[in-house]
Amino acid sequence: MVQYIFRRVIQAIPLLFIISFVLFALTNSLGDPLAVFAESRQRPSAAQREALIRRLGLDRPILEQYAIWLVGNDWMQVDVRGDGSEYAPGTRQGVLRGDLGLSFVTRKPAWTRIEERLPMTLTLMIPAYLITLILAVGIGVYSAVRQYSLLDNVVTGLAFFFYSMPIFFIALLTIYIFAVQFSQWGWGGLPIGGTGDGTFGDLLRHMIMPIFCLVAIQLAGYVRFIRSSMVEVLGQDYVRTANAKGLSERNVVTRHALKNAALPLVTLVGLDLPFLLAGAVVTERIFAWPGMGRLFIESFERADIPVMMAILMLLCVLVVIFQILTDIVYTWFDPRIRYYS
Amino acid sequence: MTTVNPAQPIVRLQAEKGRSNLSRSLARLRRHRMALIGALLLLIVILFVLLGSILIPEAESIYNDPSRALQFPSNGHPFGTDVIGRDLLARTVYGGQISLFVGITAMIVQMFVGTLAGLFAGYLGGVIDSVLMRLAEAMLSIPQLFLALIALRIFSDPTQFPDFEFLGRQYSSTMIVIVFVIGLTSWMRVARIVRSVVLSVKEQEYVTAARSVGARDTRIIFRHVLPNCIAPIIVSATLGVAAAILLEAYLGFLGLGVRAPTPTWGNIMGQANSYINQWYYWFFPALFIMLTTLGINFLGDGLRDAFDPRSLR
Repeated sequence: MVQYIFRRVIQAIPLLFIISFVLFALTNSLGDPLAVFAESRQRPSAAQREALIRRLGLDRPILEQYAIWLVGNDWMQVDVRGDGSEYAPGTRQGVLRGDLGLSFVTRKPAWTRIEERLPMTLTLMIPAYLITLILAVGIGVYSAVRQYSLLDNVVTGLAFFFYSMPIFFIALLTIYIFAVQFSQWGWGGLPIGGTGDGTFGDLLRHMIMPIFCLVAIQLAGYVRFIRSSMVEVLGQDYVRTANAKGLSERNVVTRHALKNAALPLVTLVGLDLPFLLAGAVVTERIFAWPGMGRLFIESFERADIPVMMAILMLLCVLVVIFQILTDIVYTWFDPRIRYYS
Repeated sequence: MTTVNPAQPIVRLQAEKGRSNLSRSLARLRRHRMALIGALLLLIVILFVLLGSILIPEAESIYNDPSRALQFPSNGHPFGTDVIGRDLLARTVYGGQISLFVGITAMIVQMFVGTLAGLFAGYLGGVIDSVLMRLAEAMLSIPQLFLALIALRIFSDPTQFPDFEFLGRQYSSTMIVIVFVIGLTSWMRVARIVRSVVLSVKEQEYVTAARSVGARDTRIIFRHVLPNCIAPIIVSATLGVAAAILLEAYLGFLGLGVRAPTPTWGNIMGQANSYINQWYYWFFPALFIMLTTLGINFLGDGLRDAFDPRSLR
């Protein structure tokens, strides 16, 4: 097992290097990062601009820039003026030593930008995901056990309905009904955007609508997934055996069926969890929620390469880690699975 | 592809031995109530988009008149007017054409790349397999929206790709770019599905038999292996259209999708985003996106059941 994990990690490393290089090349061809400064009051002169480009290393070939991004440049001298008249030691430590670089826009470390936004994204995504999972297991199991009952049919229909809705439709409808109309009718509508005045109660009030939308959009997929894997498991011989020897239905469903049906769910959750960190771009946009999705869009619009790279690489690394974790959890759920290296 | 020698008649045993798998599947599909509802919804959307463009001239979707901005739906403008006074019914009709076009063509790109990648990865194995599958894995570890945004920005430089005219209407080149961006960022799942089917099919006796009589790899892949992948391909193609339409809508909603002058359901939504109080502005395009994806999902589910009788209990 340890050997297996070790091998998986070793395999993942070259993959991460390749992904990071491709992403680096892509993000670097997005546009001029210095265009941001053109809008600012102190518009840099051509000479300043050139100095800035050189200081950021943007005049270098892409491979060299990538190498500096990886290992930093504090071990070499940077030609400050471009004519060999003045040298200064580099300041960057490189990603491999945990330095993700400075944001082009705020000149703060890219990691600080992420640290500011990540908690906000997680306060939205984790409750939404937990509610989704709990509701999905409940509804999915029920509609698998009582197949083609009224509730099953209603839920399946609704599931399709929400599943097919673009999230902005749900979001705009919710806002229109619960914020706009409710306050017109004098029922005290829910607050529309932002995170409130800093108190916990107000934060909760601001979380209601985005979480409702996120749950509504995700729930359907999970319910259908759990329902179909439960239906499959309920048709197995061991479930018939369990029923035949007189176990209570509750016991059969939870101990025998659900435990086996949960296995594919583990994979799904393991693959989805890292993406919670990416936030929900559209939802965050509509509800003006200062999360990771908006951070990505903001950095994207300003070609803030270090921040974009930080977000993308964080996700890639987490995906790899969660894949390995999923494999480990698998052996725990199903002792028959053994990994050999 | 292989060519068939016309001098050599091909005996189609299957056709004479009664109903093929395909016709049995189609019969199952016709009995599937959800699939029929789905097909009906799609028919409504398609009729709306086609009849609309016959009844309403295209100029109507571009003509703006700020004096009639943000009007509530009326007889003259059944869906109301947008912020610069364009008729929203006309924009929903013509935007719908583009959205459906993008959805379908992006699906074709996605299916083409995904199927080929899956076929070759599964059949040839070895280095090609691991390279293609690692690539798929790498692309799956980044949210598709992020990938699409980056690719879209790189390839939609308006100076490089100017607007073009086709059949007397002007289109933004981003419309074509977006098709490829969506298609090339969503082939991975199809490739995986096709690959897994290929892996099981290539161990079958008839493949060994074909190889033993000296059939070339390309012939085996396209004549013997590919037909077995048709069912999962059709199902994911159907669902792929819905996913592509949704992704286009999200890109448009973020204001980064197809650019003016070409309307799409997505970019109408993107403009309507800040006018929540004017519900008619965003309601109709969103409703049509929903009807389309709902119809496609119903149909796709029906197709899945029809092709895979095991799932019908």
